[in-house]
Amino acid sequence: MISQYLFYFLSFVSVMSALMVVFSKNPVYSVLFLILTFFSIAGHYFLLNAQFLGMVHIIVYAGAIMVLFLYVIMMLNLNKEDEPGTTTMSKIAATISGGILMLVLVAATRSVHGMESPVADSSQIGSIENLGKVLFAENGFLLPFEISSILFLASMVGAVFLSKKEIR
Amino acid sequence: MNELLTLTGLGLFSMIAEIFNFRKAIFPVIVLGLLGLLGLCYMDWGSYNSTVTHFSMMKVDNFSIAFTSVLTATALFWFMMSRSFFEDQTSMSDHFSLVLFALTGAFCLTSFTNITMLFLGVEVLSLPVYVLTGSRKRDVASNEASFKYFLMGSFASAVFLFGTAFIYGATGSFNLENIATYLSTQPQLSPLFLVGLLLMLSAMAFKVGAAPFHFWTPDVYEGAPTIVTAFMSTIVKTAAVAAFFRLFYLSFSGIHGEYADIIWAMAALTMVVGNVIAAAQNNVKRILAYSSVGHAGFMLITILVMNDFAAKSLLYYTAAYSAAGIAAFLVLYLVGSANNGETPLNAFDGLVKRNPIMAGTMTMALLSMAGIPPLAGFFAKYFIFVSAVENGYIGLVVIAILSSLVGVYYYFKIIIAMFFGKPDNLPTYFLTPIHRFLLLFVAAIIVLTGLFPDFVMGLMTI
Amino acid sequence: MEQLVKFIPLFPLIGFAIIGLANRRLSKGVTGVLATGSVLASFAIAVIIFMNRLGGDGQAVTVTLFDWITAGNFSAKFSFLVDNLSTMFLLVITGVGTLIHLYSIGYMHDDDGFRRFMSYLNLFIFFMLLLVLGDNYLVMFIGWEGVGLCSYLLIGFWFKNIDYSSAAKKAFVMNRIGDLGLLLGVLLIFTATGSVTYDSVFAQAANITIPVVTTATILLFIGAMGKSAQIPLYTWLPDAMAGPTPVSALIHAATMVTAGVYMVARSSVLYMMAPISMDFVAWTGVITALFAASIGFAQTDIKKVLAYSTVSQLGFMFAALGVGAFTAGVFHVVTHAFFKALLFLGAGSVIHAMHHEQDIRNMGGLAKKLPITHATFLLGFLAIIGFPFFSGFYSKDEIIIQALAHKPIIGYLLIFGALMTAFYMSRLYFLTFMGKFRGTEEQQHHLHESPLSMTVPLMVLAVLSVAGGYLLQGYMEHNLTLGAAVTASTEIEEHTLHGLHNVMWGVTAAAIVMAVIAYVLYVVKGQRPSSDADMKGLEKTIYNKYYVDELYESLITKPLNSISSFLSNWIDINVIDRLVNGTGGGINALSGQLRLTQSGNTGFYIVAMVLGMALLVAITVFM
Repeated sequence: MISQYLFYFLSFVSVMSALMVVFSKNPVYSVLFLILTFFSIAGHYFLLNAQFLGMVHIIVYAGAIMVLFLYVIMMLNLNKEDEPGTTTMSKIAATISGGILMLVLVAATRSVHGMESPVADSSQIGSIENLGKVLFAENGFLLPFEISSILFLASMVGAVFLSKKEIR
Repeated sequence: MNELLTLTGLGLFSMIAEIFNFRKAIFPVIVLGLLGLLGLCYMDWGSYNSTVTHFSMMKVDNFSIAFTSVLTATALFWFMMSRSFFEDQTSMSDHFSLVLFALTGAFCLTSFTNITMLFLGVEVLSLPVYVLTGSRKRDVASNEASFKYFLMGSFASAVFLFGTAFIYGATGSFNLENIATYLSTQPQLSPLFLVGLLLMLSAMAFKVGAAPFHFWTPDVYEGAPTIVTAFMSTIVKTAAVAAFFRLFYLSFSGIHGEYADIIWAMAALTMVVGNVIAAAQNNVKRILAYSSVGHAGFMLITILVMNDFAAKSLLYYTAAYSAAGIAAFLVLYLVGSANNGETPLNAFDGLVKRNPIMAGTMTMALLSMAGIPPLAGFFAKYFIFVSAVENGYIGLVVIAILSSLVGVYYYFKIIIAMFFGKPDNLPTYFLTPIHRFLLLFVAAIIVLTGLFPDFVMGLMTI
Repeated sequence: MEQLVKFIPLFPLIGFAIIGLANRRLSKGVTGVLATGSVLASFAIAVIIFMNRLGGDGQAVTVTLFDWITAGNFSAKFSFLVDNLSTMFLLVITGVGTLIHLYSIGYMHDDDGFRRFMSYLNLFIFFMLLLVLGDNYLVMFIGWEGVGLCSYLLIGFWFKNIDYSSAAKKAFVMNRIGDLGLLLGVLLIFTATGSVTYDSVFAQAANITIPVVTTATILLFIGAMGKSAQIPLYTWLPDAMAGPTPVSALIHAATMVTAGVYMVARSSVLYMMAPISMDFVAWTGVITALFAASIGFAQTDIKKVLAYSTVSQLGFMFAALGVGAFTAGVFHVVTHAFFKALLFLGAGSVIHAMHHEQDIRNMGGLAKKLPITHATFLLGFLAIIGFPFFSGFYSKDEIIIQALAHKPIIGYLLIFGALMTAFYMSRLYFLTFMGKFRGTEEQQHHLHESPLSMTVPLMVLAVLSVAGGYLLQGYMEHNLTLGAAVTASTEIEEHTLHGLHNVMWGVTAAAIVMAVIAYVLYVVKGQRPSSDADMKGLEKTIYNKYYVDELYESLITKPLNSISSFLSNWIDINVIDRLVNGTGGGINALSGQLRLTQSGNTGFYIVAMVLGMALLVAITVFM
């Protein structure tokens, strides 16, 4: 029962803080709200018995990446005035279309309530041991794990390439 | 699997080659490596019936081999065409490694058996292309295109993941076979499933540039450097449409009826929108950009038909379109680079008098894209129409034929400019040997694949 | 062993590719050796296959290279059919082809386009081999179009001369008419039998109704009329003499123009089912034979005489096919390839010696100056008029005998044609080589025998022209059973045939008499054709080829031109343009509206995508 309340609470926090990320005029606030979002999502992981993922999420995203973000924003010295204005028109259009999509999705999936989950629930599902088995077992996610390293390599090369000065 | 290792190894090599001063070796090594890759494909060909999967994530079957061969051959041409563009830049090593990583992603897209691999493939393919699109750093148009592509591509990826989550929620698996089994055993589909499927469908439609998710295509194609546009319109498009087909063929074909109408409408809309807008353009690059939207519509028909013959026709179509695309974009690049990067229609005036090889190959490529017999593009369209008619989609074929007639109109606009325009004050071109060889070779391929369609189609004998 | 056949077309193709790509990087010598060698290699393989088949059971073998087109219920393989018919053609094409390549090295050596010329020749050989090797009508059609293409390229080889390019254009148009017929015929066959492969078409031939077979075979024959220059589509061939002489010898005498004969012989099963088509073929052939022969009487250009003689001889072949003597027709193709190639090459040698003088009124007495050319030309001449035991004697007699046995009227007409041939060929020979030299001083001064690369092919061909008929006679009779030719000839009593053979001795004697008359007229009496201005009456009419070109000009070309100018001036502007512009305008208007959606605003694009997704889900889930 308590976990259900916690779920609603965390969901509320994550949705609200995500909205605040978008609505904040000051980029520093945005980043701070983003950190809050990550924390609340980490809370979801804990609720789902994925303690390791939750911790890693906090360490990597909230700890490392967001600090980098803040650092970059400070370097760029972004002010409120620099933000390009978005028209009211586009805000309304975005709200309406997003709302419609949400409405349709909710309506389409509402009958799912009370259906069985196809995956058996287990308190150990998110443990480090199980995670390791899923990731590195022969028929697990070993290959995608390696491929994602290529993805990171590619994005690194890309980032370096874009930021490198052109020397003639 | 060896193909994957080869591509990754090549990418790593060209990434670090500059450190060790192997700069001169990069291009020959890449060419040799890609030729070796073709050899690997040849050796692996015919292993379709083996149930061997790699870590239950990939299966190198004839479908995968066939598309990989087409992609590799196209990539080989692309490297030959782009060599001069990159060699005078300091970042050649970065460029080539990015492209090779993208090819790794493309290979994943042709051989995945798991949605995880599909997603990673899409990302590994797209990320380098986002960067390449913005590779002309001082050009605002290039920057804007890159950023636009990145934003919308991320959005599509998010939609894709959203859909994947729904599918997982319904089936409990990412494995395509398990999903297919779920479809055939479950009497009542979970409502999550259909929604997930449609979200994935939207994301894939974005990647192939099908209406109404095509909006990024013309802007990005026009903004990107022409060489990169060639890459996008041939390799990225082929890989994406192959992945689209494979995903639906291996996992979702059990409930074909549920989404057939959607794809029907999408294909029709894409063909009409792409071809009709292209007709009013006066910039050749933009014409080709919109026409690539139209071609995506033709390719979608095969996903609607969804049988072995459709797979073959798709392979043939992508091969024909890639060959024509390489030729057309190479000419476009050459014309553009002598004209400050601009490619208005009148930059092609009287091209035949200024460089007959360029004009001739361009004409072949455009005629092939327009579907004039006996060139490859004609049979490509013909096979797709045959497969559609056999499955009763006559209305769609009528729309397809009408829109390809519109296509004939705008392709001929370029041809007429090349042959009857007055070449006043326009430069004459001198081709480097590699470009001349490439143009002639691709022209020969366009004719020969038209005369011998089964050479390509036979790659996918299942 | 038949598997080797794959390599036969491959060698000339490789030769073409290397010469075409390397172009100026190869020296002329290497180019010549390469081009000739590639055809020679094919010839060697053809000989191996032929010898092997002589010892074997003579069954047809199909060699499949790859699946070609598979679409729906239509499928065609790219495969070769090796049987006695195609082997015979292989030998002729590669054998005569090799000799003519060799000859071209000498003949074209000083031409700027030497490499281009050799590469075209190789390409031609490649397509010609495809034409005869294909095991279905589609491969044959590829070859058919390919040889046509090479033929235009080579006729217009000296394209800077406007007359020559218009000759190429004429050949192009005439052949298009024929090709259309061929294509329609193939399509009709496909719709009737569901296949284009020879084997399955002939296996199902019995199921086709007679009117369909008749239509199909006549359509096919229209194709043959174009390619093999039969009335009314023959006028391109004499004009095609604009091309270099080796081309005239190879393409317009020995090989390509016999493609029509090959195609009809190949389809003999179908033709035997359609008596009307057979009559049509026979009559077209015999009329062409006589008509062209009569034009030969008054021509003064050495190549034109030979050209009309080719048309006439092709008429003989078709007449043979039309009376059901397919074997005799093919036999004549082979012997004709020998002696006509020889005559053309000899003529080429004469033209070479005379510095591009082609008018026989300015020749004469060349026998002493050009001994080898003269000797070989004489042998070729004897072969064509059917001098006993020369090659033409066997094949032509066979045709006439079969015609007399099956359709006597045609037989009589052919005898008449043979006599005409004897006369105008004798006229050509005597005017060129006998009597006194009538050219300019300078020409006489420069007269010289041609180099060895040109005379060797002449000598080889001369041997073949003499002995070819005798050597091949038995083989033809026993191994080349086409259509129902066997049943046709068994119907005739043995003694009738014997009697007909005796008749033929009479015909041969008459032909020799014709030659003697020509000798008396042109050598003893020293008569010579009048100059252009002095001609009158019948001679002028014939000299101007009965004004057929002018007839076509006024009957077809001019009305067509005026119709097309009417179409372009009135219909085009008032109907088509309006229609097209209307449609185009509509599309442009629509396009203008649609492109407004392409605003360049990313936010708008994403909104559209989101709405699109919502629409997809809504339609699929709720409807």
